[in-house]
Amino acid sequence: MTDLLLKELDVTDFRSIRGHVHAPLDAQVVLVHGENGAGKTSLLSAIELALTGSVQSLRRADPGYASQLVHRSAAQGSVSVATAGEGAASYGATLSPDGIVTSNSFDATLASFFSERSYLPQALLGQLLQIYQDSGSGADSPLAKFVGELLRLDRLDAVETGLKSLGDVRNVRKIVDRWSDNELEKARLDALIKDQKFDQRQIIEDIGVQMLAIRKTVDALGLTLELDDRALDAIEQALSPAQDEMSLATITDRRRELGSIRRDLRAAGAGTSASIAARQAPDAYERWSATYIERYSRLRSRIEAIFTSISLPDDMGAFGEAALRHLTLHADQATSRARKCKADAERLAAANEEIEVARSRLRAISSEMDGISTSAGGLAAILSEVTALIDSEACPVCDRDYSELNAGTLVEHVHSKVRRMSASAQRLLELGLTNTQAQALVDRLEREIATLNDAMPDERALAELDRAAADANAAHAELSDILEALKEGSRLRAGQVAAQRAVTEAQSRSVALTAARQTLSDFAVAIATAPVVDGEDLDAAAERIQSLLDGENRQLESRLSLRREGREAVGTIRSLQSRSDRLSDELSRHEAALKVVARAHQRAQNVRAQGTRIRDAVDAIRSGIIRREFNERLNRLWRDLFVRLAPGEPFIPAFRIPASETQRIQPRLVTDHRSGGAAGGTPGAMLSAGNLNTAALTLFLSLHLSVPKTLPWLILDDPVQSMDDVHIAHLAALLRTLSKEHGRQIVIAVHDRQLFEYLRLELSPAFPSDSLLTLELARSPNQDTRCLSQRFSFKEETSLLAA
Amino acid sequence: MTSSPLIVAIRQRLNDAGYDDLPTPFRMAGVEFQFTAALRGRHGRALDLVLLVDTTAGSFGDSDGARVRARVQALSRALDVTASRYVLTVVLAGATLSGDVEALADTARVLHVDTLPVDNAGISDPDRLDDSIRVLLPLSIPQPAAGEHGGPAQEQLEKALKNIVDAATIKIIMTAAERGDEAVTTAIAGLIDAAFVGQQETA
Repeated sequence: MTDLLLKELDVTDFRSIRGHVHAPLDAQVVLVHGENGAGKTSLLSAIELALTGSVQSLRRADPGYASQLVHRSAAQGSVSVATAGEGAASYGATLSPDGIVTSNSFDATLASFFSERSYLPQALLGQLLQIYQDSGSGADSPLAKFVGELLRLDRLDAVETGLKSLGDVRNVRKIVDRWSDNELEKARLDALIKDQKFDQRQIIEDIGVQMLAIRKTVDALGLTLELDDRALDAIEQALSPAQDEMSLATITDRRRELGSIRRDLRAAGAGTSASIAARQAPDAYERWSATYIERYSRLRSRIEAIFTSISLPDDMGAFGEAALRHLTLHADQATSRARKCKADAERLAAANEEIEVARSRLRAISSEMDGISTSAGGLAAILSEVTALIDSEACPVCDRDYSELNAGTLVEHVHSKVRRMSASAQRLLELGLTNTQAQALVDRLEREIATLNDAMPDERALAELDRAAADANAAHAELSDILEALKEGSRLRAGQVAAQRAVTEAQSRSVALTAARQTLSDFAVAIATAPVVDGEDLDAAAERIQSLLDGENRQLESRLSLRREGREAVGTIRSLQSRSDRLSDELSRHEAALKVVARAHQRAQNVRAQGTRIRDAVDAIRSGIIRREFNERLNRLWRDLFVRLAPGEPFIPAFRIPASETQRIQPRLVTDHRSGGAAGGTPGAMLSAGNLNTAALTLFLSLHLSVPKTLPWLILDDPVQSMDDVHIAHLAALLRTLSKEHGRQIVIAVHDRQLFEYLRLELSPAFPSDSLLTLELARSPNQDTRCLSQRFSFKEETSLLAA
Repeated sequence: MTSSPLIVAIRQRLNDAGYDDLPTPFRMAGVEFQFTAALRGRHGRALDLVLLVDTTAGSFGDSDGARVRARVQALSRALDVTASRYVLTVVLAGATLSGDVEALADTARVLHVDTLPVDNAGISDPDRLDDSIRVLLPLSIPQPAAGEHGGPAQEQLEKALKNIVDAATIKIIMTAAERGDEAVTTAIAGLIDAAFVGQQETA
């Protein structure tokens, strides 16, 4: 026996196995039996853990499974497996809630082979079943996942998926931040450079236009000049206006001079029309004077006699108005003075009368006051005090008995006396007051009379006043009559004066005109044109000279303006050139930047291309792996195994690799008819549940058998849960075939007692070196797991005899 | 011995597959059993006892399901009595009621060959006969062609991309691949990004 053989297994407190279990495994077939929960699955997964350091099916269900492997009653556990044959070794791991500590385990290739192709746990069988039932063909379908895991495609798939985004630049933008930045920068620079180049062309065109303008200017100025837009200084020099400006200044001076001469000429030539009006004025005045001048003189001397102290205006109109005003005032004054004198006289008479009345009243008061004793008041006061001493009819002063008189009581008497005396005193007081008032009245009247007497003019003065008023009124009336005429006269005389002045001015002007003619003629000679000849109209001559000067002026100005335009064009060209230079600088800078950006982009593109190449290569390799694994050999093997277990099933499951797809190919599951030809449907649709289970189991066996015999072990965990009896018989035959013909060490766990017994019979050793081990797991509550092993060896059959 | 072509064909196929004819009738536990044909395997199949039953025109009551069942049950009992480890396989050749097959399956593995399969040309089709009794036939495992295995994916990748993509990039991508596709995306994005950064350093 050169093949590697599982020799023995030791398990302590692992999963549902409590305590320590030792299981010999060194037989061609190991049958494990135990009720559900007895620890069959734990026993088999202990083999996986010991050999590979992990339990794949548990890892898939829960990545943190490692901490839950120890039996719940123990703090730590261990598993170990020994192998026999070529390359025999011991493998093991210790377990604690902290995880797994491996002492020795398979390398990755062997571990992978074991987990994927040697050991069929319930979970993997379930997964195999799932790939039929959920027959999607996408990348996430159970089949794709199974294939990915089986062939270790996950890394390749990760590369493929991870690099997928490189295909579309939009996705590249998303994952690489700088990509968009770079593209934007590139676009920006491209646009910038395009604009700037356009601008530069525009500038060159503009310079051409400006040069053309300068050419025209130079021609118009009659200059001979080499025109080169790089020799602008020379052009500007040639266009400098010094000479023309000097000429223009001279012309301007001359024009100013001519203007002055012409002003003189105009002054001298004006006013000829005024003399006619001036000639008419004296006649009108003469006519007026004959009618009015004497009357005016008389009136004036009369009025001047009235107002000796006032100086009246000489002008007749003004005089009339002023005199009229003065006369009105004068007459009013005289009238009002006369009226006042009259009122004063009347008041004087009334005052004299009033003063007489006042004086007589004063006299009457004086006499009454004399009749009243001035001491009456004092006596009355004494008597009233005396009444207080009167307590009988006897007088306290003279002791005389008053009752003798029979005139009432004494007290009454004194009281009435006092009352009488008091009344006199009152009267005296009133009289005194009235006396003072009357006296004041007399005094006032006396003063008034004296004033009136003083102011009263005498009769002559009054008459004089009346006369003056009458004179003034008469003069006033006359003046009113004559006032309009006076005004006319005044106007006429002003006209006469003006006329005389005009005549005088005309005489002096004629002299100036002659002088101006000479000046103009001299000026004409000075500016080198024909002098003013006799008989030539001065205005016309001036106009001739003026237009000559204007013409020259215009010409010079247009030359100057041409030069200015030329220089402006030069300036424009200069600014255009400097802009062009700046633009060139920027352009070269931007082009350099663009080159850098483009190089970076190229580098990034290269990396992207490499990524794409990796992806393509990965895809090719992946396709190669899939094609290699899911080939016709696998299909043939699978068919053989499937037919062994289900001879009555006309449909056979098979893998197909789509020939048309090139990207990320996935095998598809189909069914063929046994007699040939594709049935078309997926196994899930075509096969019964039992045969699906068969298909799953035989697929696992096919995958094990289709590759070189890396590990000659098949470890099956309860693979026949729902198979009917027919299949079990066939499965037993198949297992026997694998064990006895193909040297596979088979470890199979079953929970069904009958099946166990059947398999024990069917898998019995058939030849001397053949061997069978049965392991029976048993567990009672709160007891350690027990494992009873029994070894069966070959026994020659003797019962069959030829009849 | 029968001359039924179906029986002949099955027997021939089993002989070819290493089954030896047993003389019939044979005795088991002192009881004599008569079958149309009986065969026994060698080596690993040494405990396989194959009985052929010609249900079409067989002798010994082969066409009568009940009689066949009775005989097989008797044989099974005899094997039990002698504590024999022989495993019985009954091959029913010819039309059979499915109830008969199920009834027999309690005591033995039952294979059923309906007719001698012929293809469209009328020539017998050995493959289809094989399918019916395949569980008895040896399993031939086709061997993979030499050099079919290309080695680990990364090596294949490096070989495929030699002189096209530098090994460092492949290594970065493949290392990232262990952490999933997003890690790969991040890695390639980082590489592309780095290419842009290189520009800034040299610029």
